[in-house]
Amino acid sequence: MTELAVLLPEALVIIGALAALFAERLPGGDRTAARLGSALAFVAALSVAAIGTASPIAGGALAYDAIARDARLAVAGLTALYLLWLSGADLERVREMAAFALFAALGGMLMASAQDLMALFIAIELGTMPAYVMMGYERGDARTLEGSLKYYLLSMTTSLVMLYGFSLLFGLTGTTRFDHAGALAPQGLLGAFAAVFALAGLFAKLSAAPFHFWTPDAYAGAPASAVAFVSTAPKIAGTAALLRLATGVSAGEVVPLFFGAAALASMLLGNLGAYPQRDIRRLMAYSGIAHSGYVLLALGAGSANGLAYAIIYAIPSLAVMLVAAEEGTAVDDWAGLVQRRPAVAWALVALLLSLVGVPPMVGFFGKLAVFGAALDAGRTALVVVAVLMSVVSAGYYFRLLRPAFFAEGVLEAAEGVQRRAWTSGAAIAIATALTLLLPLGLRALQTLSGLRL
Amino acid sequence: MASHLLTAIVFVPLAGAVACALAPSARASRALALAVSGVVLALAVWLVAAFEPGAGMQFVERARWIPQIGAEYHLGVDGISLPMLALSALLTLLAVVASWNVSERPKTYFALLMLLAVGMNGVFVALDFVLFYVFWELVLVPMYFLIAWWGGPRRQYASIKFFLYTLFGSVFMLVGIIALYLHPAGGTLDITALAGRGFPAQFQMWAFAAFFLGFAVKVPVFPLHTWLPDAHVEAPTAASVLLAGILLKMGTYGFIRVTLPILPEASRAWAPAVAALAAVSIVYGAALAFAQKDLKKLVAYSSVSHMGFVMLGIAAGTAEGISGAVAVMFSHGVITGMLFLLVGMVYERTHTRMIEDVSGLSVQTPVAGGLLAFASFASLGLPGLSGFVGEFLSLLGAWKSELVPAGWVVVSAVGVLLAAAYMLSVVQRVVLGEPSKAVAGISDLSLREVGVLVPLVALTLVVGVWWDSLLRYVAPVAAELAKRAVGS
Repeated sequence: MTELAVLLPEALVIIGALAALFAERLPGGDRTAARLGSALAFVAALSVAAIGTASPIAGGALAYDAIARDARLAVAGLTALYLLWLSGADLERVREMAAFALFAALGGMLMASAQDLMALFIAIELGTMPAYVMMGYERGDARTLEGSLKYYLLSMTTSLVMLYGFSLLFGLTGTTRFDHAGALAPQGLLGAFAAVFALAGLFAKLSAAPFHFWTPDAYAGAPASAVAFVSTAPKIAGTAALLRLATGVSAGEVVPLFFGAAALASMLLGNLGAYPQRDIRRLMAYSGIAHSGYVLLALGAGSANGLAYAIIYAIPSLAVMLVAAEEGTAVDDWAGLVQRRPAVAWALVALLLSLVGVPPMVGFFGKLAVFGAALDAGRTALVVVAVLMSVVSAGYYFRLLRPAFFAEGVLEAAEGVQRRAWTSGAAIAIATALTLLLPLGLRALQTLSGLRL
Repeated sequence: MASHLLTAIVFVPLAGAVACALAPSARASRALALAVSGVVLALAVWLVAAFEPGAGMQFVERARWIPQIGAEYHLGVDGISLPMLALSALLTLLAVVASWNVSERPKTYFALLMLLAVGMNGVFVALDFVLFYVFWELVLVPMYFLIAWWGGPRRQYASIKFFLYTLFGSVFMLVGIIALYLHPAGGTLDITALAGRGFPAQFQMWAFAAFFLGFAVKVPVFPLHTWLPDAHVEAPTAASVLLAGILLKMGTYGFIRVTLPILPEASRAWAPAVAALAAVSIVYGAALAFAQKDLKKLVAYSSVSHMGFVMLGIAAGTAEGISGAVAVMFSHGVITGMLFLLVGMVYERTHTRMIEDVSGLSVQTPVAGGLLAFASFASLGLPGLSGFVGEFLSLLGAWKSELVPAGWVVVSAVGVLLAAAYMLSVVQRVVLGEPSKAVAGISDLSLREVGVLVPLVALTLVVGVWWDSLLRYVAPVAAELAKRAVGS
């Protein structure tokens, strides 16, 4: 029974989710629910850090190694940050959003430790189901419904393909456990298909090309406040699961090839696709595809640096979407932001440059880790593409900064500055501080299991 | 205390940036900027006084930073970085004084100037590749905003072009850094420790290409120079001064600090090609400068030409060549700083930079006219002024070098003649003659403006007459570098 103590963080998250469902009974209602959830998720993150690594539980189905620790810490931490913001958000039915985010976080945390195909599938579904609801949050809006339906159908399809791959893997190897390198080693052409099918499901969760095309439509239909969470925290969990699965499955040459092709396609399609976008959600959707390409570049090289990169990407990306949720989702909505909210505008500089990978922001260290891992594995050509694409990405991230700083003829606060809850500023400030200061906090970087050259 | 002198020089401006941004008023902000840059200059002077010429890396500071990737906090100065650091401290102070009357968002402006100083000072003292890269990129952001916010009409285009070009180069430099680190012969990010590791020739060629892209964009070397005229013309005066005076030098400093010692075989193998590009930059930059109607653009293109001499000296790899390269870096920073300041001061009064609209400065404003003539003569390389020292040594070094084909040296020498042609035509058309309509009635330089220019005039004279004042620091390091790395 004592071995279940490592599940304390997950238990805290469940408590938060259930409490949010009964928000009517709480004094203060929705706000309290979100704040309670935020606090519990924060304590969950702290307890993940305190527990550290432990031996596997549930007969070996759930691992609690460094990968699980870092991914769970990041998912719980980001969820806490998101719920903090949510508690002051100008949104209806906050309690539902809070509950679903916490359930999704629970799924993500289990995903990060699952090393059994069954457990992994259940965790993925637990993590994804709430996201369907969050993406379709504005029930009356046709575009939202279209986007969330697309998201649902494609996500389901890829889940089923993945499940088919899992069943083939089980049939060929006779086990569902992938707890060590090469644990699942199916032979022959069918084995290669099984591996590719299984991985394809997780690629789709990361919205990596060629499974990316639903993302921009789904994000553009959904409220930015939902996109902020759905596009970040689950990606960390997905990366952790993919890292574990890719290590466990060995099916010859096809797996590295699959990773390389998907990384190349994601970097190219994501970065070039982001260029013409005028909607911040679409732009960030393409940017997310591109960043998944960098993650796959590292994972394909067999390096845990991909997980560090996913975490480093998720922090500024979440904050940028939170700003979009407050300020508007068209690029031009940000016009004159520096007059209205100078601190937020300058925070955006740090956040977006971190996504480009400019030092001293933490994104640079992520890029360093990814490029280092890929060069070490001899993938020079892919690194050159990645490097060129990161310059391209600066072009579209600056397109977001330009109206915020240099829009001409914007009347200052024409419709009166809206009073915002302190939590909104606090959440963005915390994300910015993490983006700027992580490189200085040696200890923080040391705990990232990847980030090693 | 002395052992943390470099940290202070690099990070005092960072505190200054925060203070300027949070200052209660515009006046307080600019006073803070002045005080901070004055303190930094005083520290730099202290550093120069305490520096022992010829004694290698000094004031070294080392501390753990990010152990997983082997990055250290590692600073130090030698005879090549010292003059550049001092120049950076001086030009920052002068840039603050020159921007005294900036009226648009002054707090942000001075904060950005201070932030820029952090990056500029840091690049010249960083001895760890990650730290070097951090400072290298750090200059981009404030410079982007300085151009994009306080620049001329095409500032949006010019600023993003500047940013993307430089980023394009530097990401390749990053690939080079990682490649050095991952190579079995490398395994460290310590720039000094990587020197003379004997990387295989084939690897060196590729690594050199990556670093070349990074540094050459910054210098800029033809054909990667097209961002420079746009950025310079649109940038506000102080930003132009720092861009030409310090940022361009970061590129050539990179060649001297990184590629010469770490990739000597590739530096030798690529030398003829680099020399060819240098000669083309010299002549092409000079020819374009000659064709310009805009005074500021003329100075911008003359920078391309002058930086060609730096590249020529570096390609030569001889002691004279490297000394000459550093001397050009220093004196170009001083002289071009003067030219940009004067162009800015004239523009503030006449609201035009067109050469045809401005004439007769010496009649209407004798101080401005005289100083512009002085700066022009210094720029064309008149013996006795600092511009001559470096160009002479760099040509001499290239002539003596076995790596640089003599033909390119001859072509480069023609560039000196062209420089005389375009600079003298400036003197003739702008300084001499009858005052034009735009010039009539304008006031001469104020005491503050003269005060900005006097230190630069003095440095031009001192270095031009007493070569040893600069070369005593540079020459020992250059000789060591030439002997050890290039083997000449």
